[in-house]
Amino acid sequence: MKHIIKIKDKPHKINLNVIVKESLVILVMAVTIAVAINELRQASLPLFGFDSTKIAGIIRTNIPKITLTEAYNLYRQHKVVFVDARDPFSFEEGHIKGAINMYPDEVAFRLAQLKAMLSAESIVVTYCDGLQCPLSQETAQALQSHGVPVVKVLADGWNLWINAGYPVTKGQI
Amino acid sequence: MKLRNFPGPVTPAVALVCRLTVAAVFLYAGCEKIIAPQEFATAIYNYRLLPDWAINVLAVTLPYLEVLLAVCLLVSIYVRGASFIAALLFLVFAIALTINLVRGLDISCGCFGGLTGSISWFYLVRDVALMAISVFALFFDRGWSYFFTR
Repeated sequence: MKHIIKIKDKPHKINLNVIVKESLVILVMAVTIAVAINELRQASLPLFGFDSTKIAGIIRTNIPKITLTEAYNLYRQHKVVFVDARDPFSFEEGHIKGAINMYPDEVAFRLAQLKAMLSAESIVVTYCDGLQCPLSQETAQALQSHGVPVVKVLADGWNLWINAGYPVTKGQI
Repeated sequence: MKLRNFPGPVTPAVALVCRLTVAAVFLYAGCEKIIAPQEFATAIYNYRLLPDWAINVLAVTLPYLEVLLAVCLLVSIYVRGASFIAALLFLVFAIALTINLVRGLDISCGCFGGLTGSISWFYLVRDVALMAISVFALFFDRGWSYFFTR
């Protein structure tokens, strides 16, 4: 026995004007309701007042910087653990040999791994790519707030390190 | 009031199921986000796609937009607009998910409130599927009046 289902229905003619008009009405209503209820409720959010430092539990402090030469000297003496604060994809493409990858958000649950790599004499140096990159500073702040004693930032670290021809490697760690 | 045109013809019945599915998803997602707006704001922040000033604006408005879309789709008013916005939202979510999956970030999805599971390719597939059924509803839905007669 054969069941043949014929789909006779054709799609509606889509009237763009109707879609735009209805969408606008819904959007305006949603924004109005949202703002009104947000103002009235106790657990309201300040509309333009999101503070990422507060959310991340990071207290903004100035992390001391380290120069490339100082960092390399410590590296040769095995007295530094590099923390690559860039995204994991960039890390896999290439990073300072021996570095571990840690985004600011990941500090809390990757801390044990980092501490296992630290000796009594070693310090932690964070780096990312470019002078404007905030990730090395943010990761350093997060590490400091989680009790890592000596943390420094190598500003524009990846760029400086690779241009100096110092040891790098690829892949995950 | 009598039921008619159900379960056949097939297409409007399928479109009805699609519309109600999207409505249920948005109703649940929106309510979960409204309950804990701060957690949802953190989830948005973790995506690292928006500046600080835009995060709370989105955390406040998006949940109510989702609930409003759910209501529109449930009661069948402004269905064209609602299913269009729904498809657009799922597209935006898919882009945000893809960017962070490629970046390799281990962050909460925030799909159903702030404290949901870490993002994965499964979430992206689910999102694209929901986008597809929203588009289906946009083209084929005929509203409640098609199924009931006095």
